[in-house]
Amino acid sequence: MWAVTGPLPSATARGKALQLEVSALGIAASCEGADLWAASRDASVAALPAKPRLALHPPDLVAWPEDVEQVAALVRLAQARGVPVVPMGAGTGGSGGAVALRGGIVIDTRRLTLPLNIDLPGNSVEVGAGLSGERLEERLAYAGATLGHLLPAQDPGTVGGWLATRGSGLLSARYGSLSDLVLSLEAVDGAGEILHTLDHPGAGPDLTQLLLGSEGTLAILTSARLRIWPRPRERWLRAVRFPSLRDALRGMRDVLRAGLQPCIVRAHDPLDTLLAGSAPFRIPQPLKWLVDGAQTEALRLTLRAPLLLNRLVDALPGASLALFGFEGAEEGDASREGRAALSICARSGGEDLGPAKAERWLDSAQRARWSHAPFLAAGAFVETLDVATTWERAEPLLRAIRRAVEGLAFVRAQFAHAAAEGCALEVKLLGLAGASADTLAHASFEEAEADLEEAEERREIVWAAALAAAADEGATISHHSGIGASRQVFLRRELGDGIRQLRALKKAFDPAGILNPGKVLL
Amino acid sequence: MTARDDLAASGAALVEDGQGGMRVTPPSVASLARAVAVVRAHALPLRVRGSGDAPANAPDGGVLLDLASLDRIASVDAATGIARVEAGCSVGALESAVRRAGCTLGPLLPSVRAGSVGAWLAGPTRGERGVAGARRETAALTVAAVLADGRIAEGRAAPAKAVGPALDHLTLGGGGRLSIVAAAWIRLFPATPQLCSVWICPDVAAALSAVELLCRQRLAPVRARIQGGAEGTRLALAWEGIESAAIDRDRAERALAGRHPREMDVPPKWVREGPDGHPVEVDARWASLRAWSPQGDLHLIGLHAGGAFGVLSLPEARGAEECAALARAAGARVIAPRRLRDNGPGWEAAGAGPAWARLAEALGVQP
Repeated sequence: MWAVTGPLPSATARGKALQLEVSALGIAASCEGADLWAASRDASVAALPAKPRLALHPPDLVAWPEDVEQVAALVRLAQARGVPVVPMGAGTGGSGGAVALRGGIVIDTRRLTLPLNIDLPGNSVEVGAGLSGERLEERLAYAGATLGHLLPAQDPGTVGGWLATRGSGLLSARYGSLSDLVLSLEAVDGAGEILHTLDHPGAGPDLTQLLLGSEGTLAILTSARLRIWPRPRERWLRAVRFPSLRDALRGMRDVLRAGLQPCIVRAHDPLDTLLAGSAPFRIPQPLKWLVDGAQTEALRLTLRAPLLLNRLVDALPGASLALFGFEGAEEGDASREGRAALSICARSGGEDLGPAKAERWLDSAQRARWSHAPFLAAGAFVETLDVATTWERAEPLLRAIRRAVEGLAFVRAQFAHAAAEGCALEVKLLGLAGASADTLAHASFEEAEADLEEAEERREIVWAAALAAAADEGATISHHSGIGASRQVFLRRELGDGIRQLRALKKAFDPAGILNPGKVLL
Repeated sequence: MTARDDLAASGAALVEDGQGGMRVTPPSVASLARAVAVVRAHALPLRVRGSGDAPANAPDGGVLLDLASLDRIASVDAATGIARVEAGCSVGALESAVRRAGCTLGPLLPSVRAGSVGAWLAGPTRGERGVAGARRETAALTVAAVLADGRIAEGRAAPAKAVGPALDHLTLGGGGRLSIVAAAWIRLFPATPQLCSVWICPDVAAALSAVELLCRQRLAPVRARIQGGAEGTRLALAWEGIESAAIDRDRAERALAGRHPREMDVPPKWVREGPDGHPVEVDARWASLRAWSPQGDLHLIGLHAGGAFGVLSLPEARGAEECAALARAAGARVIAPRRLRDNGPGWEAAGAGPAWARLAEALGVQP
């Protein structure tokens, strides 16, 4: 195996002192090396092969509060000691939002699993922030309900993590993002005050919407009341091939503008359409190497010429595969909407390919998988972006991103999370980072370290170029992943003078500046 | 330089108003921003007309900022369903403009239709409307807001964003207290004919329960009219949407089949008409609407799983005051008429009173 084992972080003097005080409050806490290591990273380390071995940003202490009072006590203690507090759920975020950049106390929220009150007549559930999303959906399914926030199996996350980043699920076209699902929040602000936002607020700014998505920088979310819906009895899926990406986007837009409520609406760019087997010719060999990643040397050879690859993709016929899904409470409801959608798509040249490809996509999205592994082993990086814009800017946005990185990385894209006004663009960037796993396995620790540094630089350059292109194109730089640490450089460009509002909120809710410092430009 | 000189230099029109006050009418967003900066620099009392509030006069020795001249509709894009408009534009004028492009803002409360876009977004409804799937969302895709120091904060127009706290929500519903709406990107619906169905229910509460049932099954109509009477209560529901109206109406008829008999000969426009008498506008949950009156006349819009905006009228009530008092007693929040408006619970009720005070200070405005 290529990963080089590094030393576990050691307990700091500050950590030991904090542990005594936190334990005296009756709250479980640890400054053991293994616990600090586990709390030192989130899923953003998965973009490169060698990173997982490093304890990137170990906190001084990890604490496991079990209720909101314990969270408030921890925050008050941290405030008194001037120590940062970083909330962390399952650590599935990809932007470094839950990483303790400045040490301090990581509050592991996963014991905040209560309350769990399902109110079927009221279409709502009250749930602790630490409950895993997977577990919540299981409980709701048992009660005949759903939140509709379906996520890929490999990153289910906790409810608190979803709320903190304003997440969107695979079915967001029908159920909306977390901002549509949340009714009220319970939270602890930086002064240690417990806040209960109202699910029917009066006049004035909506506090729920301000705390939502604040990534732990304004308050630590401890529980929420969320909107739930009757579990659908039927799901109807279809793949539709359009003559071009532009036609596919028009078809998606028109389906939504017609008032239909698909649960899935997404379009593949021409390359992904080809890879999905929906184009009438064979895939060129270099692209095959890129897709399956099975042959390390061939993959590395291919990735040495990203410009050529991107141009090859540009030369492909422009057919675009779109996927549509509908859900219904009664038999026939979903298919009736589906037929209406097919009729709309036909006006843009959409051809019904049947359900198989859409079923395969949904099945694949829900299964845990490690499709990145062969690429990482080959010394490549796989980075993803989720940017969003309005319909008329969607295709130019993809072109701009591709242009910005075409000499550095290979670009794949899908248009998803569609709404009546626009959609998200999910971009996968694939590039050569460093040496392959086999080479690193025979390298010294120092050589491996140096290789990692270079790989990280290459990845950063590509990531920055792509995000800068998105920001310049007028898109929002994050549709559902949050800002965290890794995207904040570009947040200034997006918010402009809104930064002043952001900083005012920080002063209001976290006057001592202890909550998750160094994130979201705060 | 006096405040008056500085305000004149901002490009705004000035008129003496009230006790030593001035009415300031900026002709552009840039002028508005400069005027706000001047007001702050001279620490003048400020009120804003057309930002969720409707003051008639300037405060003593202060400034009344009138957004009436910021009435341009920069663009209406029917294909993407987005209009770009300045805050002083009247909602009625915007509706007329988007109708010409085959779009609509959707059903709105009468007080909203009578006001400006800025007042709609910064006012008590936060620009919210019912959308497909029995949800409610603000009509503003994003806003351009003038901060107290005269800088302009403008978000990116995107269907959803995860870029930290939703800063637009400092302006939406804020009544111009934290920032002033200068312009907005407004979401539009395609304008389509409505499809109606009508039922006869035993009473108003039963009719409301029927509507609530539909909303909880994601079949919210765009409008509902409920009128109690001696021979039963008439419930009329209307759906809009190019393809969805017929589908949702059929599902609704199926869901209510066997519960209440249908009535076939009601003119479709009946559901559009507001109640007679002395109506009040409320934002209410279903339980509050049911508890309001067994005999009233209700026109509901913005229906969602939790409740609706309502225009309520009681034939036997002596005036809007009595109607509002009953609504308030049932737990509804009165929005209009303005003199009867309830602010409702603020941040203090959420335990965030100190945070509000700190926020106002950090933004350089009065708490």
